[in-house]
Amino acid sequence: MMGPVDPALREALAKQFPDVFAAEGDLDPNGVVVPAALHVALAKTLKESFGFTLYVSVIATNFPTAEGETYEVATVLRNPTTAQPFWWRVRLGADPQLATLYPLFAGADWQEREQFDLVGVNFVDHPDMRRLMLSEDWEGFPLRKSYAIDTPHTPWR
Amino acid sequence: MNLRQRDRINPHLDLDTVDAAADLMALNMGPQHPSTHGVLRIKLFLDGEVIIKAVPYPGYLHRGVEKLCERLTCVQLTPIFDKHDYVAPMTNEQALNIALERMLGVEVPRRARYMRTILAELQRLASHLLWLGTFTLDIGGTIGGGASLMMYTFREREPILDVFEMLTGARFHYNTHQVGGNRHDIPDGWAAAVKTCMDQLAARMPEYEEQCVTNSVFLMRTKGIGVIETPLALELGLTGPNLRASGVDLDLRRDAPFHAYDEIKVNVAVSNGCDTHARFEVRIAEMYESIRIVRELIDNVPEGPICSLKPVRTVNQIKLPEGKQMYTAIETPRGELGTWLIGGGAEKGACPYRLKIRPPSLHAMAALPYALVGHTVSDVVAVLGSLDPIMGEVDR
Repeated sequence: MMGPVDPALREALAKQFPDVFAAEGDLDPNGVVVPAALHVALAKTLKESFGFTLYVSVIATNFPTAEGETYEVATVLRNPTTAQPFWWRVRLGADPQLATLYPLFAGADWQEREQFDLVGVNFVDHPDMRRLMLSEDWEGFPLRKSYAIDTPHTPWR
Repeated sequence: MNLRQRDRINPHLDLDTVDAAADLMALNMGPQHPSTHGVLRIKLFLDGEVIIKAVPYPGYLHRGVEKLCERLTCVQLTPIFDKHDYVAPMTNEQALNIALERMLGVEVPRRARYMRTILAELQRLASHLLWLGTFTLDIGGTIGGGASLMMYTFREREPILDVFEMLTGARFHYNTHQVGGNRHDIPDGWAAAVKTCMDQLAARMPEYEEQCVTNSVFLMRTKGIGVIETPLALELGLTGPNLRASGVDLDLRRDAPFHAYDEIKVNVAVSNGCDTHARFEVRIAEMYESIRIVRELIDNVPEGPICSLKPVRTVNQIKLPEGKQMYTAIETPRGELGTWLIGGGAEKGACPYRLKIRPPSLHAMAALPYALVGHTVSDVVAVLGSLDPIMGEVDR
């Protein structure tokens, strides 16, 4: 569970992002779904106005559906004063592109590279979008569901 | 002009724009350098002996654990988690099992929570002892003649592995946690063995600390080296002792309690030094605190069951609900070890759909391009050692 979100934070977010954070009812415990266009603005607001300055993680996930490939990118931040984490999700289509958080959080550099490397989500305007874990000539993105676990990889291609 | 560290140092520096006094030299450190704590390669760009850009290349130990997690059932995952951070397997198991328990809403009996707390603190001591030995070894022949402190810390670590062996039968890859509690109950004589081990360590710790802090070469090699300023440390996602050495008072044991930490007091060590020496100080203070916590708890373990679920008989006994996802984190010796868990995977939900591990060491490694610039090649090993990375966890 995301845990109780501070009422003042909830109210301020509802004012700034009325389409995403309804003023009443529980927030989705799996993480609020935010349109891709608001991704950077939300991170900036949380960091600069609400003290969520600790960059925790970014998680990309592949969800194959009947209509085609979809992706979700979850971002986790933490407020170091209250230790409260906050996370949200962005849904992306078959060609996953999302704005980078690198200008706001230096840690997004490697974390977004890792998600690009393994899941194949492209973070737009990232200064150095290379693979992080796998070799640069690796083919495919291993954490996509279509990538079989026994896919052969020959080093002498 | 007082620029923030983030604005002062560009990890993606274009070397063509550098106006160097001498010719630039690129130097590869690793992947098989003895001081890179596993296999890490750092490409250093040097002006004389001063580093102007550092590019780490992790991934040499990448084993595709997250892909593997999608094919193994929750019951089979615990031994896999032992092998991520092979210096602190106990806390890694706990991170996985707490994530599963919170998703399933399983309560853990009070006895098991106390046992987990004791095991976590013993593991913190074992891990920090190994760090102390290798860190002083990295700094070189300055501490009592080369490797001698490492021999002592390994001697102290042995009794801790012995008490783990008494409890679980294994010295290293324990597989002693399961969803709902623990697998092995406390054997006779275990509390006495733990107490003896803590007494020995408590008597010798001041000696080891003194060996370092009274050594002027040690101080010169650590003070003011590898500074990571507070805002940058937060932005990078540093956690644990590395973050607390940069002046942030955050410890999940106290601030977001798990195990039995809500029933005891944890004194959190913080330093404002931000440098290699501050990280040393914080870890040393944490070791004294861990000894105190173990001594406080070892006589007060409550009676009762050690697991709230029936013993594991089949591998697909535990099923995760579909469509649920959550982030869970605990404080390991290296910092915040988090898991992003999505339920409802293969084998009718017995496997996770996705399990992302958030390793504290990976975030610490990302600090290297900032912390190394302006220092010399010999400082690289000091800074790297002070961040205490375990490459098994960085690369997974």
